Amino acid sequence: MKKKIVALALAAAMAASMTACGGSSDGGSSAAPSGDGVSITIFNSKVEVQDAFEEMAEEYSEKTGVGVEVYYSSDTVAAHMATKYSSGDPYTLSMVDPKDIYSLAVEHGIDMSGEKWTENTDYEIEVDGKVLGFPMCVEARGLMYNGSAIEAITGKEFNPDDYSTLDAFKGLLDELKAGGMEAPCGIMKEDWSLGAHFFQEIYEEQPDVEAFITSLYEGKADLANNEKFNSIIDTFDVLKENNYAKSSPIAAEREVSEQKLAEGEIAFMFGGNWDWSMIKDFNYTDGLGMMPLPQNTTDGTDKKLVGGGSKYFFIDNSENTSDEQRQAAKDFLNWLIYDAEGNAFLTEKCAFVPAYDNIDASALDPLSISVKNYADQGAMVPNYNYDPDDHFSIVGASMQKYLADQIDRAGFAGEVEKYWASATPVEH
Amino acid sequence: MDNQKAAVQKKIAHGLMIAVLIVVFLAFIFPFILVIINVFKTKADITSNPLNLIGAHGFTMKNFPEAMKKMNFVRSFGNSLFITVISTVLTILFASMTAFVIVRNKWKACGALFGLMIASMVIPFQVLMIPLVSFYGGIFGLLNHRATLIFMHIGFSMSMATFMFHGAIHTNVPIALEEAATIDGCSRWQTFWKVVFPLLKPTIATVAIIDAMAFWNDYLLPSLILGKKELYTLPIATQIFYGTFSTDIGLIMAALLLAMLPILILYLFLQRYIVEGVTAGSVK
Amino acid sequence: MNTNSNSYKFKQYTMFAGVATVLFGLVVIVPFIYGLYLTFTSWDGVSKTKPFVGFSNYATAFSDVDYWHALGRTFIYAAIAVILVNIVAFVLAFLVTRGLKGQNFFRAGFFVPNLIGGIVLGYVWKFVFNRAFVALGTAIGSGTLSVSWLSTPTGAMICMIIVSVWQYAGYMMLIYVAGFMSVSEDVIEAAFIDGCTNLQSVIHVSIPLMASSFVQCLFLSITRCFMVYDVNLSLTNGEPFNSSVMAAMHVYNQAFTYKNFGPGQAEAFILFIVCAVIGIAQVYVGKKAEVGA
Repeated sequence: MKKKIVALALAAAMAASMTACGGSSDGGSSAAPSGDGVSITIFNSKVEVQDAFEEMAEEYSEKTGVGVEVYYSSDTVAAHMATKYSSGDPYTLSMVDPKDIYSLAVEHGIDMSGEKWTENTDYEIEVDGKVLGFPMCVEARGLMYNGSAIEAITGKEFNPDDYSTLDAFKGLLDELKAGGMEAPCGIMKEDWSLGAHFFQEIYEEQPDVEAFITSLYEGKADLANNEKFNSIIDTFDVLKENNYAKSSPIAAEREVSEQKLAEGEIAFMFGGNWDWSMIKDFNYTDGLGMMPLPQNTTDGTDKKLVGGGSKYFFIDNSENTSDEQRQAAKDFLNWLIYDAEGNAFLTEKCAFVPAYDNIDASALDPLSISVKNYADQGAMVPNYNYDPDDHFSIVGASMQKYLADQIDRAGFAGEVEKYWASATPVEH
Repeated sequence: MDNQKAAVQKKIAHGLMIAVLIVVFLAFIFPFILVIINVFKTKADITSNPLNLIGAHGFTMKNFPEAMKKMNFVRSFGNSLFITVISTVLTILFASMTAFVIVRNKWKACGALFGLMIASMVIPFQVLMIPLVSFYGGIFGLLNHRATLIFMHIGFSMSMATFMFHGAIHTNVPIALEEAATIDGCSRWQTFWKVVFPLLKPTIATVAIIDAMAFWNDYLLPSLILGKKELYTLPIATQIFYGTFSTDIGLIMAALLLAMLPILILYLFLQRYIVEGVTAGSVK
Repeated sequence: MNTNSNSYKFKQYTMFAGVATVLFGLVVIVPFIYGLYLTFTSWDGVSKTKPFVGFSNYATAFSDVDYWHALGRTFIYAAIAVILVNIVAFVLAFLVTRGLKGQNFFRAGFFVPNLIGGIVLGYVWKFVFNRAFVALGTAIGSGTLSVSWLSTPTGAMICMIIVSVWQYAGYMMLIYVAGFMSVSEDVIEAAFIDGCTNLQSVIHVSIPLMASSFVQCLFLSITRCFMVYDVNLSLTNGEPFNSSVMAAMHVYNQAFTYKNFGPGQAEAFILFIVCAVIGIAQVYVGKKAEVGA
């Protein structure tokens, strides 16, 4: 008897799910746009804008008749792309990081040289005379601050330009501490933040970046006596000294740190304008913004953020994508840049700092407004995008050790030098 | 007198055992309780104080509808159910048959197959990931079908299920019963279904729950095979809540609760069979 | 009918194991062989050409110091975790098969961790270690608790082990419960009549009859611990300072994050061989014991 019940239940479940599935796949195919029948797929690698993308895709399909499906993967971009390409099922348009353009688009992307948008941007990626990467947005790194929290203690207007030197910055921290903010700084301990974002500035702010990287590969660079290394690490030391999680810096959770900054419990944290996607979920105060990392230097980098184009689209060139699809993809990119709705999507829905000079971006979030201001003034040190792929992890790990006082500055410099000397140079 | 003493001792022993069980039980479900507490809070409240019963923004149910909408819950649920049920049933049938022939037939091919299966259980999935998709996708273009996923689920779970049935047949199925069936005129096929299979009930229930859970929760394989939204299973549909740079923990917890209920029910239901087991069978 | 003839055995084999063999072969063996072939090429996972390079990926793998460290670490972790998982699981299975009130309820409770998939499990535990324990430690003034365990290499390892025990004990308990239940009541009753205590009956009667449960649980826990990835990723992500990167995570990073597909694939095969040797040795020894009992 019981067996029969189980069998019946299973059969019913199967039947139910079969009809459910049948129904849904019908729904899927009938939802395909009639228009000219072209459908494209987009891979989005920025999870925070996935909702905006899906909404946009629906509207775009309705209006143009071109079917757009947006996908996201929580896997690493490289792993996901590898599975899509080896299964012969690539996306029409894929959004990837700059370094992936060099490793993927050279072989799999089409040349977009003739496109009009190339005239409106300085951030496109060009390899051997071919434009392979369409920049989605500008992102920059620097010190995020909570102006209201600072003003509440100092009682005067906070102007980040006044604190571009490390000495001035230290003075401000002392003032904050005296005013009751026990530890005014936060440090993200994630290896990508330390290795790929913070330490990276040491390369990017060298007078001759390429020559410096070459000397690292050759094992000839002397980091411990490098002016920029010491300058940036001096600043890191100050942040470390004033870290709210000083007793256990490696256990600091990013969400918690972001919340403290958003709500004014701490005043400073190194990061970038993408951090807004987290801050916006908390009860953030007014007066948030970004400023350059304070440094005692005369080379002008204390007045500049570091950044540039970030997240690039490339269009698949394989036989799995038809010419019509490629054209539809190009049309879509043009829509983003030259259509008012496309612009609104980029700047308002996604809160991207546009990489194109024809796009108005007055409705951005506070961090992005800071970035835009620096970018417009040309106060931006360009990104260096050609680190070996394991750089962030290994240098990040060394920097974590330094953060946790497991090694001293000389030991830290030594580990980084050792890593570079054993790394294989990245062609670019 | 002795009886009374024994009864007291037994009571004390039972009390101790229950006490141990309760302590361990609390330790085991503590993280789960955290999930339940936090599912009714906003993200900001979860971050600022995850232990509070009710967050500063008050009690909220909004994580559920939002998670359901973002996951396209009904469709994903249907896909998951369909794939899990069929894969589990077929795995149990094929694996028990295979284990039977391996245990009872002393033939080289059986030993070889079993050896291969055991060895295959330690293949890290990462090894097979790219070859699998380039073979079935790149060469044969078989991706984006539920049937392909079911086929692969069965293929991958075959070794472990066979391994478990192998152990059960080896120790719990008296060969004398099979011989008796043969004398009664049963073919090997009939013997298996009429005598052996019913005796495997506890193991069937165990394999069913373990495999159903594995299929239900599996993310990596389905994400490789099912690249179209209308085919998404629950775990693929929830990946949108995870990201390197932002994680919506409230939605994750809501999605988790929604997704785990069917498995919990299945477990409560099947574990009765594990209990009944051999004692209710025909061994006596 | 000659039940010893090859054709009879072949027929039996095809009838019972035919479908399984085909499925298993197509899904596991074929991609495995193809994957093995890929380790001899310099394919990067995405390009169209697959140049043959012989053993150079293996040479790279063997000289990858971090890989061997990760493997060594995995050994230590697996050894401790396997022992603890099985002890806890067996004790729990024993307790919930004594006919106590509410034992079904307990069984369900111990099984709950399995229902929470890898990534969420890591998040939840990370919170427990980073926040709940620290808050508790600060409150009671305990030095060891007031600093998050996840911030030191040894602590991170201990956390990994705790979570693994918590995660797998319920699962293994299920198999041990099936084992306890499969021991016929007659045998136990006979043991009681012979004057055995509850404990004695377990040691002398149940355990020997449960040999196959032990083989299964040990094998499953060993292989799972050796291939641990999900929890590693979500709980520690290799931190602090890459000191908790286990073998599978290193393999994955090598192949996909660092884009050294060939060496990564080769390292995965080395991991496979290590697991296979340990797993098969354990099953072999276990089967011997089973026959002996």
